[in-house]
Amino acid sequence: MASALEHVAWETCLVDPQPDRALEAYARRKTGIPVRSIRYFTPVPWLARAVIDLHPEYGLLMHLDQNTADLLTLIVSRENSCRFCYAAQRALLWGQGMSEAHIQRLEQELSAALAPRTAAAIAFGRTQSRVGPAAAGDARAALRNAGFGEEEMKEIAFTVAVTDFLNRAHTIPAIPARPLERMPDQFLPRLLRPIINRIIERHRSRGQSAPLERAPSHPYARLIERYAGSPIASALGRTMEEMWASPHLTRRCKLLIFAVIARGLACDVCAVEIRNALEAEGLNEPTLARVLTHLDAPELDEIDRLLVRFARETIWFDPAALQRRARGLRDRLSVPQLIEVIGVTSLANGICRMGAMVMGHS
Amino acid sequence: MMLALAMSATIAAVLAVALYRQWQRARNLQRQLRAAAADLEHLQKACARLAPAGVVQSLVADGIRPDVGPTAERKLATALFVDLVGFTAMSERLEPEILLRIINGYYQCVSDAVDEHRGHVGSYVGDGIVAYFGAIQPNPWQCDDAVRAALAMRASIRDYNAELAREGLPTVAIGIGIDQGPGLAGLLGSRARREYAFIGRPVNLAARLQALTRVHGTDILVSEALRTELDPGFILTPMPATAVKGFAEPVVTYIVEGHSAHVDIAEAPKTSARSSRDSSA
Repeated sequence: MASALEHVAWETCLVDPQPDRALEAYARRKTGIPVRSIRYFTPVPWLARAVIDLHPEYGLLMHLDQNTADLLTLIVSRENSCRFCYAAQRALLWGQGMSEAHIQRLEQELSAALAPRTAAAIAFGRTQSRVGPAAAGDARAALRNAGFGEEEMKEIAFTVAVTDFLNRAHTIPAIPARPLERMPDQFLPRLLRPIINRIIERHRSRGQSAPLERAPSHPYARLIERYAGSPIASALGRTMEEMWASPHLTRRCKLLIFAVIARGLACDVCAVEIRNALEAEGLNEPTLARVLTHLDAPELDEIDRLLVRFARETIWFDPAALQRRARGLRDRLSVPQLIEVIGVTSLANGICRMGAMVMGHS
Repeated sequence: MMLALAMSATIAAVLAVALYRQWQRARNLQRQLRAAAADLEHLQKACARLAPAGVVQSLVADGIRPDVGPTAERKLATALFVDLVGFTAMSERLEPEILLRIINGYYQCVSDAVDEHRGHVGSYVGDGIVAYFGAIQPNPWQCDDAVRAALAMRASIRDYNAELAREGLPTVAIGIGIDQGPGLAGLLGSRARREYAFIGRPVNLAARLQALTRVHGTDILVSEALRTELDPGFILTPMPATAVKGFAEPVVTYIVEGHSAHVDIAEAPKTSARSSRDSSA
């Protein structure tokens, strides 16, 4: 099955896979199948769990129909030229029993015979990937005009944002995509396809209403609260909490990464969220202003300076160029630091896009 | 009886061969269709290098609706104009092959520096190149990016000159002008031919500043408007206000000497041109 992204240049993988039985067992329990790609993230457990916990396929969506969510994941991955996620989503659809011809038809019909609601959702996904929150207001209006309710729109924003996160998390370290691209053409997966289908079907689930156990107190708590009642709130809340608490990068450095990405995406609501948290970390207003204007300030340490510059590279990118820039960080950071940078920049790109849509217009 | 059996077997064999051929033909056609779809996708991606993806799609749509005129929008962007000093004289005295070798190397140095700093080469005007920063996607760091690109060009041309000198070829010198301001960005041109461009005062002033580098005896000049947006770490030398064609008031400019503490993440060398051969998980 030829993937439309096979021509996209993709560097060799930046990090070595590190087996972790507990995390791999966790992923297998949730998805039903071995997820070998999380071995690349195991030195930073919150990231390894996040790529599983936030996936829109497994028990998070209550209102948006799963087919639209699947299509959104496919299209946003294609927009972002993420060979890994695009191949993974195609393999997932194939594993669920969809024929190659059907998948190709789905892709080809994207610009033609789609239902107006699906077309509006896809247009939103594309806009978020290409223009970012600057176009969130118009895209939101278009979704409402197409008949989507408030809860469905929030789930669309979540699906697109999580795909933006997953795309970057797999693109920046250049996780090998070839095995997934080849899978539908190989004898063994073809033979086992009916079994794979049954396993996937058993583990695929719709979300169940879940109260937010406790009010979060970390940055972006407002965003989590907007999803109160949905399983998205607890999954996202847990990921954010673990990310802020993770020791490999300082909290200030993570906030600066979020601030730079919010600035690059011109997301005003995110800027306010981050500014308050950075002030609490002791970074004064003039220093933050200088960092956001010039990506530098004398008050920053060497790692901060390096990473605020890297953060802006993750907003709009060509995969191979971004992968080469990430490789440039390898000599200056430890492996867990490097993987945490990948996780934080990826998550920030998703959260800032989601924040503008869900917390208010930029 | 035997004859009937033999005839049936022959007919069955002929039918099987025909069916097999038909199946093979269908498979080939399917393969060709897939290859064509991949080519189209590849073409669209390649076009995205010439213009933003959204613009490419509207261009495709306009292709079947020839009544639709060019589309453009107002944007705040930075224009960088670079030109070869003394190119006309050089072109008169050098053999075409040597001239081509020299100018292509210069184009490469400039384009690489623009790409590396998130810019977009707009057009080649003879030996001049116009590049834009922030004209395609929003870029709040466009002024710093443009000046860093200019410094990278200076360094790259220095290395290129060393290479030319080793080969016994004449060396080159460049002049660069940079300005930032509002302009019109989009697909501009006639129905028959359009290109993605940014037009307006910043492009005109950048071109004038580039010419002014000869007057001030330097290689990089930026405008006052651009200076106010620049990282204070850039080392600038003010030049006296000078009258330039097309502008009512004399123009204040600054020479860019360098940066006091330049930190950047260099791209590591390519590990593979294409990754179909990437390692297995």
